[in-house]
Amino acid sequence: MVNRTPVIAIIGAGIAGLEAARQLSALGYEPVLIEKAPVTGGHVAEWNRLFPDMSPAADLVQSLEAATAKVRTMTGTEIASINRLKDGYSLVLSDGNILVCQAVLFATGFHLFDASKKEEYGYGIYDRVITNRDLEQWFNTRQDERIRHPKAVGFVHCVGSRDVKAGNTQCSKVCCITAIKEAIEVKEAFPDAEVYCFYMDLRLYGKKYEDFYIRAQRDLGIHFIRGRVSEVGEDIDGRVVVKAEDTLSGKPVKVTLDLLVLMSGIVCNPDAQSYAQQIGVAIDDDGFLKSRNNLGSIVESSRPGVFFAGACTGAKTIPETLAEARSAALAIHHYFNNRG
Amino acid sequence: MRERFANGFDPFVIPFLIGMAFVLGYCIVAMFRIIIQLPKADRKRFLLTLITPKYIWMNIRDIFLNCLIHVKLWKRNKVLGYMHSSIAFGWFMIILLGHLEVILFLPNRIHLFYYPIFFNYFVAETESTIQGSLLMFLMDFFLLIILSGIVLAIIKRFASRIVGMRRTTRLSLMDQVGLYSLWAIFPLRLLAESFTAHISGGSFLTIPANWVFRQFLGNDLHALPTWWAYSIALCVFMCVLPFTRYMHIPAEMLLIPMRNAGIRIRHPRKGFALLEVYSCPACGVCIDACPMSVRKVNCKDTTVYLNRMLRRGNERRIEEISDKCLLCGKCTAVCQVGVQGPELRIAQRERRAYALSPSYSAINVRPLASAVVHGAGGESGGVLYFAGCMTHLTPSIRRATASLLDKAGVRWQMMDPENGLCCGRPLMMAGRTEQARELIAKNAEIIRASGCDTLLLSCPICYKVFLEEYKLEGVRVVHHSVFFEELIAGGQLQVRRDDGLKLVFHDPCELGRGCGIYEEPRRAVAAAGELVEAGKHHAEAICCGGSLGSLTLSYDQRRPMTRNALENLTVANPDQIVTACPLCLATFVRQADRPVRDIAEVLDAHC
Repeated sequence: MVNRTPVIAIIGAGIAGLEAARQLSALGYEPVLIEKAPVTGGHVAEWNRLFPDMSPAADLVQSLEAATAKVRTMTGTEIASINRLKDGYSLVLSDGNILVCQAVLFATGFHLFDASKKEEYGYGIYDRVITNRDLEQWFNTRQDERIRHPKAVGFVHCVGSRDVKAGNTQCSKVCCITAIKEAIEVKEAFPDAEVYCFYMDLRLYGKKYEDFYIRAQRDLGIHFIRGRVSEVGEDIDGRVVVKAEDTLSGKPVKVTLDLLVLMSGIVCNPDAQSYAQQIGVAIDDDGFLKSRNNLGSIVESSRPGVFFAGACTGAKTIPETLAEARSAALAIHHYFNNRG
Repeated sequence: MRERFANGFDPFVIPFLIGMAFVLGYCIVAMFRIIIQLPKADRKRFLLTLITPKYIWMNIRDIFLNCLIHVKLWKRNKVLGYMHSSIAFGWFMIILLGHLEVILFLPNRIHLFYYPIFFNYFVAETESTIQGSLLMFLMDFFLLIILSGIVLAIIKRFASRIVGMRRTTRLSLMDQVGLYSLWAIFPLRLLAESFTAHISGGSFLTIPANWVFRQFLGNDLHALPTWWAYSIALCVFMCVLPFTRYMHIPAEMLLIPMRNAGIRIRHPRKGFALLEVYSCPACGVCIDACPMSVRKVNCKDTTVYLNRMLRRGNERRIEEISDKCLLCGKCTAVCQVGVQGPELRIAQRERRAYALSPSYSAINVRPLASAVVHGAGGESGGVLYFAGCMTHLTPSIRRATASLLDKAGVRWQMMDPENGLCCGRPLMMAGRTEQARELIAKNAEIIRASGCDTLLLSCPICYKVFLEEYKLEGVRVVHHSVFFEELIAGGQLQVRRDDGLKLVFHDPCELGRGCGIYEEPRRAVAAAGELVEAGKHHAEAICCGGSLGSLTLSYDQRRPMTRNALENLTVANPDQIVTACPLCLATFVRQADRPVRDIAEVLDAHC
C-alpha cells in the first residue's frame, strides 16, 4: 500500500464531515463521505440564521459543499456494519458495496432530544407546542399551521438537557444562545408579541453572546424567568397555559401563550454508538464517543486509525466543530506520516 | 410394652429440659410484651377474637395450613414447599405421636416433659402389639420425611439455584448455629433410635439400621452418648432459637390470630410490627422479588435485611433501608408469612422528626368548591374526575379520558381543571400522615360540595388513598380502567378490536398489589387488541422503578430497574405496552423501545 493514497471514510456529511473532507483532500488523501440523509449539511442545513453574526446557515453549508464538490460523497447511504481489518477498516454499506479504508473519521454529530419524551411539556399533544427545529423550519419556509401571529410566545430552555430524569445530565451548550437568538427573531417577526424565556441558568460564554442577551432584555423587552416549567396545559381556545416557578421572586407563575417553543437539547447519536461498539471504540458515560484525552487529543479515539470531529464527542458550536474537523484532518495526516 | 428404668429418668434429658424451659419462658414473656404493647383498642379487639368461635376455627385452620403445611410456599415453589412442610409437619407429627405413645402405653409418665421425646430410650418391646408396631412405623415414616427435607435444605444452602432460588440470605452467626443444630437433630435421633432398636423395637428404618450397626459394633456402648448428643442438639437449637430466624416458628403462631383480628402496624418497633419482624423466616424470597435487586448493591436493602436490622437495632441501616424502598409491595406478595415490608417502612418514616413541617390547613378551598358546584349546574349525581398532579403531567391521559367520557355520554366534570390539591398519598408514603390528613379533609370538602355520586381517578396513587383514607359516603371511588371496562361491558363504549395488535398490560403497583385490581383493566385492553402477558404479572408484576415510594433512590439508580421491568414486559414481543398509571407511563416512555400508552389512550384510539 506504499504508493496508494490512503482512503479515509468519513461517517456523516454535516459541517464537520464536509470541512474534514476538504482539508483531507487538500492534504492529498482520498476521503469518502458517507451520509445517511439524502442531502449533506446535517443539522446546520435545517437551520435558518446562525449566531453570532446572523449569517444564513445556507451560506456556510453551500461554501463547504462547493469546496468538497470533488470528494466522493455517498448520500442516502447507511452503514450496515463496520469491521476491523489488519491495517484498516471495512464498511458494509446499505447499497451492498463494501468500502475498505485505512482510517475512519466519526463526524456523526448529535441527535436532537425527542421533546415528546417530556410529556409534561405537551409536545405532540398540544398544537401550539413546537421545538427549536420546528421554529427554524418556519424561519426558512414561513409556513406552519401552528404559528399564526402569536401574541405571546414562550421559550423553554434545557428540554432534555441537564435533566437526570430524561437521562441526560450534560449541558447542550448552544441552546441558551439559540433560544435568545430565536426569541429575538420572533420578536422581530411579531413586534407586538410578548416573549418569555424560562431558563435554569443562562450560559452565554461565547463571542458576542452577552450582547444578544443585553439586546433581548434591554432593547426588545423579552422577559427572562428563572425557573423550570413544571406543567403545560391547554385552555378552551387551544392556547397553552404554562405553569412555572419564578425562583428569583420565589413565586409560582402562570402564563397563557399562543406558542411555546421547546429548546430540545443535544444528545448522543445512537448510530454512532452502534458503530463504535462494532469496532471497539470507547463510549463515554454521557453516551457520546470517548476521546483518548479530553485536553490534548479530543479528536483521537482509543483505537488507532479512528478519529472524531464535531458533536459526536459532545455538544459543540459551529466554530468549534469546524476547528475540530481541521484538527482531525491534521491528526489523520500525522497518523499516516508516522506509519510511513 | 414395659419400662426399662424404674425411675424413668436419665441425666441425658437435662440439656433438653434446659432448652425447653428457656425457649418456653422466652416465648411467653415475648408474647405478653407484644400484647401489652398493642394500642388499647387493638388489644381489646384481639383478645375478643380469641374467644369468638368463628375466629378460633379460622386461627386453627390458618396455623395448620401456614405453619405446618406451608400452603403458600407450595403454590410458589413445590420443592421449597415440600422441604418446609416435611420438616415442620413431620416434626409436629413426631411430637404428636410421641405423646400418643406415652398416653397409650405409659399414661403414668405423661407428666414428664421429656418422655414423648425420648420414648424409645425408656421402653422395651414396643412393637410386640399391633398399636405399638403401627406407631413405630409412623414414627420412622415421619422421620424419613423430615430427613428428606433436611437433605433438600442442605442442597439449597449450597446450591440455591437447584431449588429455584437465584439468591438466598446470607446467614448471621446465630442463624448458622441454629441451622446446623437443626440439621443435626434428626440424623442424631435416627442414630440414637437405631442403637436402641433391638431393645425398644423399631420399624423399617431403625431395625435394619440397628442390624447393620450390630454387624460391626458388637456392643451397646454407642447408644447413650448418641442420646446425649440428640438431647444436646435439641438444647442448642432451642437456646439459640430466640436469637435466630427460627423465632418465626413461635412468632407466626401469634401473628396469624392477630392478623385475623385485623391488627395493623402502628409503630415500627412495637406490638404488631415487632411480631412481623420476628415472623420473618429470612428465607430470602423477597431478595429475588425486589425490583431494586437488579442492582447487586441493593440486595441488602430488601425486607429480609430490614427485619434483621430491626432486630439488631442498627438505626443507621434501618433509616437507610426504610427510605430507599419503592414501596411496590412485591415482597409482601411473595412472602409466605406476609411480612408487610412497605408498612414497616412507612411506620419507620412516620417516626422521623422533621425540622420543618408545612401546614396545609390554611388553604382556602372555597373557590375550588364553588367551581365544582357551579360546574354541576344545580344537579346532583354525575361523575367528578380528579386528574391529580401526575395526570396533569401526562396530558394525553387527561385528554383521552375526557374524550372517552364524552363518547360514552357520561355527565361529568373535572375536579381540578386548573388548580387542585394533592390527594395526600405521596405524603402518606413519606410518613407525613398529619399533613396528608389536612389535604384529605380539604379534598373531601370539595368532593362533597360537588354532589357527585362517582369520583373517577386516572392515577392509581390517588385511587388508593381516596379508596382507603377518604370517608366519602354515597360516593363511589373508581379507577378509570375499571370505569371504562364497565362502560364497554354495558355497551356505552363501542371499541373496535384490532386483532393484529399485540398489547401487554403492566400492573401498576398501587392498582394491582395496592388495590387488588387485575382483571378489569385486562378485559378492557383485550377489547382493543390481543392481550399478551408479561414474564411476571398480576401480583408479581415488577415495579417500573419510578415509584414515589423511594425517598433516596436516584434516577441513575432507578434506570436499571426500569430497564429490567421493560425486559419483563416485552417477553411476548407486544406492539404496545399498556399501563394504567401516569407515573409508570412517564417512567417507561423514556426508556422503552416501543410505544407505551395509558389504557385510556388505547381505548380512545379504538373508539
